[in-house]
Amino acid sequence: MSDALLEVSKEIKRTIISMAHRSKSPHVGSCLSLVDILTTLYFGEMRLDPWDERDIFILSKGHAAMALYATLATRGIIPHEVLAGYYQDNGTLPAHLDKLSIKGVEVSAGSLGHAFNIGLGIAHGFKMRREQRKVFALIGDGEMQEGSIWEGALFGSHLKLDNFTAILDYNNLQGYGRPTEICSFEPVKQKWEAFGWHTVDVDGHDHQSLQRALSEDPGGRPKLIIAHTLKGKGVSFMEDQLIWHYYLVTDEHKQKALEELL
Amino acid sequence: MRNAFINTVLDACAQRDDIFIISGDAGLGVFDDFKERYPQRFLNLGVAEQNMTGFAAGLAMTGFKVVVYNIIPFLLYRCYEQVRNDICYQELPVILVGIGSGVTYAPMGMSHYAVEDIGIASTLPNLQVLSPCDPVEARCAANHALAASQPVYVRLAKRGEPDLHPGKIEDIALPQVLRAGGQVALLCHGSITEEVLKAHAMLVAEGCCPLLVSVPMVQPLPVEQLRNLLGGMRAVVVVEEHYRQCGLGAAVAAQLSLACPIIKLGLPERFIHEIRDTAGMRSQFGLDAGSIVQAVMQCR
Repeated sequence: MSDALLEVSKEIKRTIISMAHRSKSPHVGSCLSLVDILTTLYFGEMRLDPWDERDIFILSKGHAAMALYATLATRGIIPHEVLAGYYQDNGTLPAHLDKLSIKGVEVSAGSLGHAFNIGLGIAHGFKMRREQRKVFALIGDGEMQEGSIWEGALFGSHLKLDNFTAILDYNNLQGYGRPTEICSFEPVKQKWEAFGWHTVDVDGHDHQSLQRALSEDPGGRPKLIIAHTLKGKGVSFMEDQLIWHYYLVTDEHKQKALEELL
Repeated sequence: MRNAFINTVLDACAQRDDIFIISGDAGLGVFDDFKERYPQRFLNLGVAEQNMTGFAAGLAMTGFKVVVYNIIPFLLYRCYEQVRNDICYQELPVILVGIGSGVTYAPMGMSHYAVEDIGIASTLPNLQVLSPCDPVEARCAANHALAASQPVYVRLAKRGEPDLHPGKIEDIALPQVLRAGGQVALLCHGSITEEVLKAHAMLVAEGCCPLLVSVPMVQPLPVEQLRNLLGGMRAVVVVEEHYRQCGLGAAVAAQLSLACPIIKLGLPERFIHEIRDTAGMRSQFGLDAGSIVQAVMQCR
């Protein structure tokens, strides 16, 4: 299983590199950071069939949209062809998420600290309707500086939203520096525990650890998975490099990256 | 107005089980009845407006008809981006109910006034904006908002306003003629309408009888119906407890292309440091009945 997921994850990463290269789009490092999380969710942990009763994945750090599009295409939820129109004039997909653009984009996102809270509302709605659907929201570590995240942390716990899982993409690089240096949010685990959340620390690139964390019983509380990740994961010259938040993928970069991702 | 609106929502709950009310720690006692009857469909999401608005959007995405209740600055200003991105951009039919229109809360201070909300709401293209003038219009606005398939913002003053309409009204989207008349037209919305009616009575006593129209649907403006009503007028006087340059008066001027002059009576575009009550503010800024009479007389 793990090997199969590894192959899927590599395929999604190759698609991201090609999309970023073709469209001259930034955020390639941010996308590679969370591919293993998306792979674990979309190729195993999330219920997607029947579609009307599916679990909901929310990409709160909406600037990693390429990773979601590439995952949806690889999973067969959207056609591969639409990826060609990503971030293009008269294109198909915007660089930040628009719910109305295509199937599988559950929530519009781009401004940080929004979709996480929308996800809490969806989770509460599912509980009120006695639906057994789960909500997964991926948030960035830079995003955790938003006050709305902490408002939601208070209320998610107060409302006992045990069908809600937040996954922190803790790559410790935001747009212009390391979150731990810009405004240290450590000890993050203890903070969220104190807010009443069930928390789990994992290697965010280890599919089995992610699977275990996702299936852990939160004991009637919402869950935060602290996924320790590397920005640019899988491409040696991009890994843990600040510049790959904004740098564009040249022909040379693309060739080297695709070779490493074979 | 507030109670008329909320009671209409409450009545609707007898027929439908999808209505959900969220309060941002506002409206002491207003929801007691609702909470008792439908405890699963009410949440006080506290003093956390960003979360309140995003959460409301999420709840709406699961099929609930969500009513968010708060004082206007904490409904539209503090969380403007959530209203824009989470509710309007995603085309969710959430009802935003704001209280404390204009200087209703004077002398609470500027933080609690809502003198630019229509200007702000008008930047959100698919948001309907309703500003009822009395409990009759508030009830009609509630029914309209409950049936709407797009987001609606309802601007209310407080509770205890008198009925200004003699009976029920049919369609809140249309201009509501309160007094027939000619030569000059008075347009208004919201609780200041009571003052405009006083002015109208004073004008009639002076032998002048302007047309008096309440315009509860501020966005989208009922352009054709207003053109029909206002054709042939010598002047139009718009009275509103709102900044002059970004409210109904500005919308009428921009969208109707009337041949006659449009006189905008509203609050000046500046922060209010005066410590006056609502009536005091109205007279200070030329929105009391006497000032309205003067403005109309000058148009004759």
